[in-house]
Amino acid sequence: MNRRDLYRFGTIALGGAVAFALAVPGVAYLLDPLRKGSKKGDFQSLTKLRSLKPGEPRSFAVLDEHRDAWVRYPREPIGSVWLVRQALGAKPEVIAFTSECPHLGCAVNLTAEGTSFLCPCHTSAFGLDGHQKNEIPPRGMDTLEVELSLGDDPDVLVKFQRFRTSEKEKTPLV
Amino acid sequence: MFKATADWLDDRTGFRALMETALDEPIPGGARWRYVFGSALSSAFMIQLATGIFLMLAYSPSSSTAWGSVFYINNEMAGGWFLRGIHHFGSQAMIVLLALHLIQVLWAGAYRAPREVNWWFGMALMFITLGFSLTGYLLPWDQKGYWATKVATNIMGGAPVLGAYLQKVVVGGPDYGNQTLTRFYGLHVGVLPILMLMCVAAHVALFRRHGLTPPRNAHTKPEGKFWPEQLFMDTLFTAAVFGVLVLLVVTEGGANLDAPADPSSSDYPARPEWYFLSLFQMLKLFPGDREVIGTILIPTAIMVMMMLIPLFDRILPRGLAHFLACSFVFALVGGAGYLTFKAFQSDARDTMYQASRQKADVARQRALFLAGDPEVGIPPDGGSYILMRDPLSHGRETLDSKCLSCHVFDGKGSGQQIAADLKNFGSYAWIRGLLEKPDSPAYFGKIPQCDGMAEWKRNSKLTPKQLDDVADFVASFAQIKSDLTPEEWLNSPGISDHPGVAPFQKECGACHAIEGLCEGGTRDAPKLFAWGSPQWITRMIQKPGAPDLYGYLEKKAQMPSFAGQLTDNDVLTIVRYLKNDYHGVPVSNEKQTNPPKTEVSHSEVKR
Repeated sequence: MNRRDLYRFGTIALGGAVAFALAVPGVAYLLDPLRKGSKKGDFQSLTKLRSLKPGEPRSFAVLDEHRDAWVRYPREPIGSVWLVRQALGAKPEVIAFTSECPHLGCAVNLTAEGTSFLCPCHTSAFGLDGHQKNEIPPRGMDTLEVELSLGDDPDVLVKFQRFRTSEKEKTPLV
Repeated sequence: MFKATADWLDDRTGFRALMETALDEPIPGGARWRYVFGSALSSAFMIQLATGIFLMLAYSPSSSTAWGSVFYINNEMAGGWFLRGIHHFGSQAMIVLLALHLIQVLWAGAYRAPREVNWWFGMALMFITLGFSLTGYLLPWDQKGYWATKVATNIMGGAPVLGAYLQKVVVGGPDYGNQTLTRFYGLHVGVLPILMLMCVAAHVALFRRHGLTPPRNAHTKPEGKFWPEQLFMDTLFTAAVFGVLVLLVVTEGGANLDAPADPSSSDYPARPEWYFLSLFQMLKLFPGDREVIGTILIPTAIMVMMMLIPLFDRILPRGLAHFLACSFVFALVGGAGYLTFKAFQSDARDTMYQASRQKADVARQRALFLAGDPEVGIPPDGGSYILMRDPLSHGRETLDSKCLSCHVFDGKGSGQQIAADLKNFGSYAWIRGLLEKPDSPAYFGKIPQCDGMAEWKRNSKLTPKQLDDVADFVASFAQIKSDLTPEEWLNSPGISDHPGVAPFQKECGACHAIEGLCEGGTRDAPKLFAWGSPQWITRMIQKPGAPDLYGYLEKKAQMPSFAGQLTDNDVLTIVRYLKNDYHGVPVSNEKQTNPPKTEVSHSEVKR
């Protein structure tokens, strides 16, 4: 190796070292979102069982404290769910669907007649029991865990979760 | 395969010829260390560009989000503190390298014909670099940036004729806020970088057009090439500069973030970045009407002189012109150095400056602590509200300014004490102390119109144990929720069977009334339902003359009402401060909590 080769090599090595020293934290910084998980929801009371009528879905807002990057928000709506009370005597008594469409995540609405669910974005259609009625969504509406509190006037408790969209399988986001 | 692809690419683009032109620049007299500054300066700019783009990906320019997003970059994002630290110290490295480059060019006489225009491009680049500093300093929207920018733009506003308009346009309105941030951000990440890149391109193109100014002894040495000799030196120096930056970032733990901007703070000691300190100090030499001399005339005159340097040759002999130009710049550097030293020196001697700086540091640490606390965090309306809603910061400050001219806190006040000590007001210890020695200065000793308790004490037959029970009972009043009626409270568990109830009814109840428990009436006294609770203290601050409080006193013997003088937030933070309801502990050397000092004899103080 002669002097000029040393200069060539040295220039590339030193320049590369500086670039590397910036690239490592830079990549870590860019990939920072991968370190953040989505918050695990707890059961929360949405309504009284007696205020639901069988076969008539109603939408309820899910409240939670949440963080958006640096901001800490107080308890406020972070999503919504559909509650469908089943015919008397049926088990479970209440089914909860997240209103996020399993297709691409738009909010699923009830049709005007109240006989099925319809997504306003790409017309994914679902029955009141959540099964898919056309080929647009990859799967039926995503159910959420429901519990009824004890006592003779029970609350409907729902555990809110988000799921990956556009896949056949229902996979919780973590 | 690689060669074939490269050949194809070269055929289509001619990149090899381009590389050759770029790298094969001749260096008369060979490569030298003194030529490294220009290259290092452009490398430093590249580092600023790279780190700046990373910061842009997470920064949010508005008065409610700026501080929070910078906090997030600094404290939450992986590598954020490092990238921001390099950007922060890199900006200072740019100034240093710029000065070195300028002096080298001047010393070598490289500004002379035919290179005058390139000197002017260099001047333009200097202005742009200073523009980067000024605009970037504000972006975190912290105290430091806020006040320094306010000063800088007010200087601009002081310029004759157009100053006021110019200031309003730059600031984006009559006040500093969202528009100031969006404008400064737009300048910092859009306008200035584009101008900078254009001027650098012109600067380098002109440099290549005229070539390097040959040193006097150039003919005695063989000609060198930019690649690889000079570029190696440039890169080695750049790497060394970068090493210094890394060292600074690591030892300093990244760039500092001051407390969020607070336009209402009265004693923030604003200082510019160190390289502007000479201008800051010069301003002090021209007080009053003459200020514009120091802020605008002299700096402008210096800049005009700098611009004219290449033209001196036309009227003066070459050697003399060079000598004068160098003398001028060295005098400038010397003068700036002297003023900078004086600025540091006067701050070092100024105890008032140090006290306010210390106060600002306490606020800074408190804000960073609360922002990082999972239970507090940064509220949606912005970093500025962190300290505003903090009892320990805002509550204590409001207490100091509004209450402690009459009251004292832990024995300390700002005026002649004519009211009680508020430390731990409403707590068991406070009440137990009161029951022991009501005429102590901590309680009613300084309030002759409130001598009822002292009169009671002289005739009281309660045993120490009973006093303990009464104090415990009365301390529980502060926990009464604001939605309870006296009746609901009396029926809740643990109240009517409290051991303190009987002695309370018997002795306290003779004067103090509580609906459903005791009638009062022997002497005038405030009602005690929910006494010491947040809602009671709030009412006491706003309506001390209400019939259930001290309405029985003569108007001028009552505590003045603070309704209308304090915001809801002021009152809330005072109340929470008095209740010791805040996160963390005060940043000070004093030991925490201890009830007002009163001798409690006979029995031990519980809790």
